[in-house]
Amino acid sequence: MGIQEQYRTDAANLLDSGAVKLVIGYGEGSTPERRRPIFIRSAEEVGRLVLDANCIANLSAYLVPEGLLSDGKSVAVFLKPDGIRSVNILAAEAQLNPEQVVILGFNIDAGLANPLPGRKANEFAPLLASLKSAGLSTDLQREADRLEQMTAVERFEYWKEQFSKCIKCYACRQVCPMCYCRRCIVDVNQPQWVNTSSHTLGNFEWNIIRAYHLAGRCVACGGCDRACPVNIPLRLLNHRMSKEALDTFDHFAGESADQKPVLATFRQDDPETFIL
Amino acid sequence: MTRILLHSRVDDCLSAWRSAGFRVLAPSKRNDLTRFDEVHAASDMALDLVLPERTIKDHFFPQTEPLLNYRIKKQAIESDEMLPPQQKRIFFGVRPCDASGLEIDDALFGWDYKDRYWFSRRENSVIITIACTRADDFCMCTSVQLSPDSTKGSDVMLHPLKDGRGWRVVTLTDRGKELAETIASMLQEDASETAPAASVPVKFDLDKVTSWLADPSNFESHLWKEVSQRCIGCGSCTFLCPTCHCFDIQDEGDTYSGIRRKNWDSCSFAMFTMHTSGHNPRNTQSTRWRQRIMHKFNYYQGKFGVNSCSGCGRCTRQCPVDMGITETLQEITNLPR
Ligand code: SF4
Ligand code: SF4
Ligand code: SF4
Repeated sequence: MGIQEQYRTDAANLLDSGAVKLVIGYGEGSTPERRRPIFIRSAEEVGRLVLDANCIANLSAYLVPEGLLSDGKSVAVFLKPDGIRSVNILAAEAQLNPEQVVILGFNIDAGLANPLPGRKANEFAPLLASLKSAGLSTDLQREADRLEQMTAVERFEYWKEQFSKCIKCYACRQVCPMCYCRRCIVDVNQPQWVNTSSHTLGNFEWNIIRAYHLAGRCVACGGCDRACPVNIPLRLLNHRMSKEALDTFDHFAGESADQKPVLATFRQDDPETFIL
Repeated sequence: MTRILLHSRVDDCLSAWRSAGFRVLAPSKRNDLTRFDEVHAASDMALDLVLPERTIKDHFFPQTEPLLNYRIKKQAIESDEMLPPQQKRIFFGVRPCDASGLEIDDALFGWDYKDRYWFSRRENSVIITIACTRADDFCMCTSVQLSPDSTKGSDVMLHPLKDGRGWRVVTLTDRGKELAETIASMLQEDASETAPAASVPVKFDLDKVTSWLADPSNFESHLWKEVSQRCIGCGSCTFLCPTCHCFDIQDEGDTYSGIRRKNWDSCSFAMFTMHTSGHNPRNTQSTRWRQRIMHKFNYYQGKFGVNSCSGCGRCTRQCPVDMGITETLQEITNLPR
């Protein structure tokens, strides 16, 4: 039985037995390559679930809407390793109880979706540890190197050009599982702390706020980068932050549910190289 | 008299227009983004795109626009109006849906108050549209009573020639005729055949959609929740739409001085029309999505006799979760009668 069939059966059993009230998965989209998030509430509907190499979105953002998990019932969700890391972060930051999240885990390798054994986030600990030791994406690092080689002025110009395209649609925020604030700081308007204008300065403000708030929390799912309608390479900002968290604090975001948030904890042996 | 413009003469046109004081904007790709930008040569243009990612709306109704600056003094408040630059512009290579979008929005911006910012730019701009010979999976102009060669909102229409050498030139308005005169020596008489317009399948039944929306009993239909379940509430569909026009007035500055601005707003945002009291009349994503559809295909229709959608398909093409107007209107079309 292929993974799609297997997971459809698993989803049907989970729903039938009452183990979960909802399955969040992928369905067919508006073109043959597109996949879209779908929500399955009964075993009769599992035939709509699709699982293949086009299922790249990190669906964990759908776990945090207010009220979804407050009845104590469980929800099943299709997740790649990046999504499993997100669940750990959400648990570490007290946004959900990982016991209520049943994971239908998979990874995509050589154009195929393959099942990952495990049902609860903590069962994936060995997998996540191996991802940590494998290090951050070398593809991203290659792209990032190009920026690192620039002078500070050139790099500033580069980001100025990129940010000047931003329209403050906030797709990057809305799609991100880590951006769960009920009211984002840029939407706080009594008083309006951050101007809403989408001019270059305002776009700098937004993008820097976003990047810093994701430092040590981003799981590199690439959701923001793909969502950005004006193609700002947000992945490079995130990567730079992840690299800093890993190199300086040995922090690999979402490694486990008891991981302490890197920017909210202090250790005696923290390096303080940046304090003059 | 049938006149054509050869591709090879575009550079000459550009110089003629520039010396006549026009700024010429055309689809181009810069910094990984396709949009209308100033061009200086034919080689700057990306005319082979089905559509640029961003619309020409940006150049008439920018994402942020200063309206006035103000200074608050002990006894008085001083302010100076800030008006847009009076620059003559030519938009070359617009698509029929984007051109139509301008005319659709004229109704809103010219309704009870004539928006000077919009109309001073409209009056200073000439729209040269190229009929589409190619469409993609998301194009749906034919579903909203437009077509790949509709002339709505255009001053000049260029129909690609079958042999690919250039375009047949059709002037549509006085402004278009005047502009064609400035390049008369670059046009030539030629009756070559034009390429067929793109074939764009009709994706939903507009009459059925509008009558369903107009029926008040459907305001609370379960359909709204079903079609919007995966909506993440970003503003990408509204901000990329050639007809969405909502804005918010913001004062940017400190207690003593600042600038009043008109900034894009989006009905997808949780903050949209939220009251000072904290009450939000549309406090769920499904009610916000309903507002978007109702506004475009019911309220706008009722007020101005036209739908606020030109079928460009961007809302679906760019949606991070593969939603969009098309799917919802298809769902409505497929409801049992
Ligand atoms: S910041 Fe972007 S890449 Fe990182 S977790 Fe959020 S959506 Fe994914
Ligand atoms: S998705 Fe892109 S355009 Fe939208 S707010 Fe984020 S960076 Fe800006
Ligand atoms: S609603 Fe969608 S298809 Fe219609 S004009 Fe706007 S972006 Fe284009």
